[in-house]
Amino acid sequence: MPQQTSPPARVATRDPLAWAVALVALGAFAGCIALWRTGGGTIDVSWARELDLRLHFSFDGIGALYGLLATGIGAAVFAYATAYVPLHLDHQARPARDRWRFWPWMALFMLSMVGLATAQDLILLFVLFDVTAVCSYFLIAFDRQERASRLAALMALLVTGGGAVAMLIGAVILYADHGTFSIPELASLLRTQDEAGGIATGTTVAIGLIAAAALIKSAQVPLHFWLPRAMAAPTPVSAYLHSAAMVAAGVLVIGRVFQLVEVAPVVQDGMLAIGLLSIAVGGALSLTRDGFKQVLAYSTISQYGYVVMLYGIGGRDGATAAAFYVVAHAIAKSALFLTAGTVTMAAGCRRLSTVGGLARELPVLAVASALAAATLSALPLTIGFFKDELFFRAAAEHSTLLGVVSVLAAGLTFAYTWRFWGGIFLGERRVGGAADDAAAAAKPLAPVPALLTAPIAVLAVLAVLGGIVVGPFAELASDAAGATLGHDVQLQLAYHLDARETWMAALAWLLGGLLLATPKAWGPAARALSRAGERFGPSHVYELSLSAVNRWSDRLHDVEVRDLRSRVAAVLLPGGILVALGFAATPTAGVFQIGSIDGTDLLVVALLALVAIAAGVVAFTHQHIAIVLALAVVGLGLATVYALLGAPDVALVAMLVETVVTLVFLAIVAYAPRGERPSRRELAGVASEPQRRHTHSRRWRDPLIGVVAGAAAFLVIWGALSRPTPAERVVDELVRLTPAAHGRDVVTVILADFRGLDTMVEVTVIGVAVFGVIALLRRGRTW
Amino acid sequence: MTALVLALVLPWAVGALLLLADGRRRRWGWTAVAAVAANLAALVVLAVKVLPDGHETVVTGGWEGGIGIVVRADALGVTFALLSSFVVLAALVHEVLDGVRSRTFPALVVLLCTGLTGLFLTGDVFNFYVFFELAMISAYVLTAYGDDRHQLGAALIFAVVNLVGSFLFLIAVAAMYHVTGTLSMEQVAERMAGVEPNAAILIAVTFFVAFGTKLGLFPFHFWLPAVYAGTRPAVAAILSGALANIGAYGLLRFGAGLLPEELELGSTVLIVIGSASVIYGALLAVSRRDPAEMLAYSSIGQAGYVLVALGLGGPVGLAAAVLYAILNALSKALLFLSGALRGALVAGAFAVGALSLAGMPPAAGFLGKLALFHTGVEEGSVALIVLLFCGGALAFVYAFQLYQHEFWRGSRVKAGTGLEEAAAASAKELAAGRELPIAGGAAGSDVAAEPAASPVAVRAVSVVLALIVLALGLWPEPLLSLSSDAAAVLHGGAR
Repeated sequence: MPQQTSPPARVATRDPLAWAVALVALGAFAGCIALWRTGGGTIDVSWARELDLRLHFSFDGIGALYGLLATGIGAAVFAYATAYVPLHLDHQARPARDRWRFWPWMALFMLSMVGLATAQDLILLFVLFDVTAVCSYFLIAFDRQERASRLAALMALLVTGGGAVAMLIGAVILYADHGTFSIPELASLLRTQDEAGGIATGTTVAIGLIAAAALIKSAQVPLHFWLPRAMAAPTPVSAYLHSAAMVAAGVLVIGRVFQLVEVAPVVQDGMLAIGLLSIAVGGALSLTRDGFKQVLAYSTISQYGYVVMLYGIGGRDGATAAAFYVVAHAIAKSALFLTAGTVTMAAGCRRLSTVGGLARELPVLAVASALAAATLSALPLTIGFFKDELFFRAAAEHSTLLGVVSVLAAGLTFAYTWRFWGGIFLGERRVGGAADDAAAAAKPLAPVPALLTAPIAVLAVLAVLGGIVVGPFAELASDAAGATLGHDVQLQLAYHLDARETWMAALAWLLGGLLLATPKAWGPAARALSRAGERFGPSHVYELSLSAVNRWSDRLHDVEVRDLRSRVAAVLLPGGILVALGFAATPTAGVFQIGSIDGTDLLVVALLALVAIAAGVVAFTHQHIAIVLALAVVGLGLATVYALLGAPDVALVAMLVETVVTLVFLAIVAYAPRGERPSRRELAGVASEPQRRHTHSRRWRDPLIGVVAGAAAFLVIWGALSRPTPAERVVDELVRLTPAAHGRDVVTVILADFRGLDTMVEVTVIGVAVFGVIALLRRGRTW
Repeated sequence: MTALVLALVLPWAVGALLLLADGRRRRWGWTAVAAVAANLAALVVLAVKVLPDGHETVVTGGWEGGIGIVVRADALGVTFALLSSFVVLAALVHEVLDGVRSRTFPALVVLLCTGLTGLFLTGDVFNFYVFFELAMISAYVLTAYGDDRHQLGAALIFAVVNLVGSFLFLIAVAAMYHVTGTLSMEQVAERMAGVEPNAAILIAVTFFVAFGTKLGLFPFHFWLPAVYAGTRPAVAAILSGALANIGAYGLLRFGAGLLPEELELGSTVLIVIGSASVIYGALLAVSRRDPAEMLAYSSIGQAGYVLVALGLGGPVGLAAAVLYAILNALSKALLFLSGALRGALVAGAFAVGALSLAGMPPAAGFLGKLALFHTGVEEGSVALIVLLFCGGALAFVYAFQLYQHEFWRGSRVKAGTGLEEAAAASAKELAAGRELPIAGGAAGSDVAAEPAASPVAVRAVSVVLALIVLALGLWPEPLLSLSSDAAAVLHGGAR
């Protein structure tokens, strides 16, 4: 830990931008409460008629719950960030204007969460889902000078953005089958269908895809790995991401589409399994982590595993418990994250192994975060107690096995939560060093602005209030469950000492305490799991596939053709193959006709043979002069053919063009450096052995491709020419109308009148070509 | 009718006259801008008249259709003309603000715009070729714009390969005339039905190869990366955002419009080639470090989507093809223009383009993805949906890897007195020890000098384009109805 050279107290917390955003959050929170109390409201307008998209928002129970979380937790986190962000920028010696990369995204994040919470249309859900992904992308990469931040941002975007595409596909499948994107409409349609004899496989797949997108967003195993990486973000971002925004968006979507999930039992069972797996893996890995935020990140995976599992259990119990769990978790988890941030700011450390015993120096923080930890581990007199009570009830009602598992899960939560808190605040006092490090024991803490503690205290008070006056929270959860299930739900919560759930909770605390007391017993196994995950886990698969894709990309790029001839060949050869395909795909019997050959035709055939030979010479020789002369033979031979076929005017033009072109070519050859030919230059120069072989193989390749292309062109033309002349041809009409155009010969009239537009454009084309040539030539001159 | 004539004649005359002026002077640059803007305005007026399902026809010389050349503006043609003219205008304004470097640049851009307008609005097969030549010859010269070896090399490759394509197109036009006896598209469409399948399919294949080359479909694409990467950004924006529309429009007009039976017959081949393009282009784009090269390969992939949608056909498929072509042109213009700039807001504009490319809302690109998934689901093809998903995932990777490489890596700040040690430790933990090829770079606190910012006005052009792409994503109705009107021209009106 480098010495703190500047007192952090001088931080400007009077940044108007920051406070504006925080105040907006507070205002929005008040607005959400007002809306909730007055029964909400609905907006439903057409968005894009063409694709049947609607802007359909409705502030129902789910909207109230997640809206309040996004704005309320948002207000706390933003207030915290007004102090944190300037400090953070100061530590990294970054300009204050970088805060513009923070606040607008946070504000948009909050707004899109509120939108997401109230959206009633699958496409709208997808759009807002992706907007949150974009916000998180830029926020995770706030410290973009760090490579880890950039990689983490990319990973979060790829994984959650890719997941969102699954949701889009699911929505489109549902639309194709049922003709609507509206979630309430789909719910009632599917329920009717389910009652009438079950839903189609396609529908199940679609629902599975939507659920998968939501699970990915909620960082459920096996696609959880992006979340711990996203800890590269500044702490307030992590706090918000984990408690009320990004990750919560996943379970929000599950709650929203729950009525669809209900008709697809396979999907629901899958959710149950994935939830359990996430609880186990997240919890076990959380116990092995050293970084504060890593511990908390894995705990989030585990905690959302609870929620997913509850939705997997389903029914009234499951849905209510899930909604309540989200609230309790959001309060506790945001407070714990903010604690991590404050400790890091004060002590300059980010790992449990480098701090300890800070309770005496940071008493308010210690108490506040202890309350948050108590909430997360479901101790009585906190709102967390009820979350576990509901959880145990739902699990035990489902099956005894699940009841047992739920106790184990709660024990795990107890252990990792208190391991985190105890690691920071209990034990021997040390800052930035191991336990027996004298320097670390004496090292002072940096002073911490009050704003880095106050929001945590507020959240803690809220958590305790919720444990005493649980009514409003229960109402919030039951409203959300009502919106989830589609019918009203009542929820009464109170302390019952004799209830089964209380005993289960006590058992869980005992188990958690045991786990905490015996780290040596489970340590090796948990660390082995962690190592196995790093070596073979999905995160490794992600990295392998990303680097494999990059490698293949490079490899393919290396073998792409570069030289001009090959680029031309790459058009001609596939073109020839496609013509052959077309030839094979259609009936050819009697299509291709050979006319009669007599009289001057024999001469024409002989001339064409000459032309063909000359073309062959062009392909095989490397002498410039020979190429020019052979091309001249080709051109003049064809001109003669025109003359023989009764088109003397065309022949004359062709003759003229060929003469000029040949002379120009000869002049160019005269100017070109002597004896130069491409292959020799390559050979004499730096050409390596493979290149030489390359050149050698080209000797045959080019003519071969030429033959393929020529054959294809021949087929096309022969096929067209084999057709009889159409009964009505425009040219006959043109000849007839020539006198009407005051002309004597049809060619002139076509050029000047009937198709005068063509002529004018062609003149422009030639003009442009002339200017192009001039532009090229002038480059060589010095003026 | 006035609008139709004006859209064509005004830029033509101004462009021809501008050839004589020194385009490096500001006033001639702005004259060119005014000409293209007038062209765009005339096209807007025309669009208001023609949409949703009308058309506006002029026959040259006052002859009846087929004798004289039919110039015919319908929803499809106007849509593409509007799009191309808009992209050309954006690129031209960008370059004029940035400082034109050669005498002929403004004139050539205006003439290219004339050529594009003409070919999108003509109803005559040969006249299409003639306007096409005007656009192409201007583009050949424009590619050399910028004076150095890269640009000259790019121009040579571009001209040679595309002349092959043009030649194939000419063969197909000649053959088509021989079998139908007419050049008017309307009459050709009527008479092609009676042509022997073999002759017709060979003609159709030749058209396909010609337009495939223009559009840069795999495997005809080998010219494209070198050209887009070699030429200057404004020209690359014009090539990819305006000129490449010839390929998409040509496939739609000649395929679905004139040769529908042959299109049906070859649909499997089209889908296969389109899929190959999607995957090949996206895969090659992944590890490119030069934005222009990445965008070039991305264009190959995006062209593949248009082809797949065309191959699937039907009202939904054709509308998706038009929509995708429009979205791709806009995104590419935005990305090419902003990719070469530096300074505040440029990164944001580029990010909007990257989002659009990856099909992520709120940028407009997601509409194309949505339309394509619609098409795929309607077709009931799982393979196609998987293909679209993979192509989209690769687009995510290449768009954002490059975005980060371009705009994030360079802006290192000096690590201060703060949390260095802790940050390094957490970086180690997070990076899990694997170097990824692109997002990497030296770790630590090296300070790279911020490159000099581009002029504000030039950046403003990119920002405006970005805002338009965002706005089209937020209010998609106009774009969607435009593309479905355009597609309705091809499948006979019923929407």
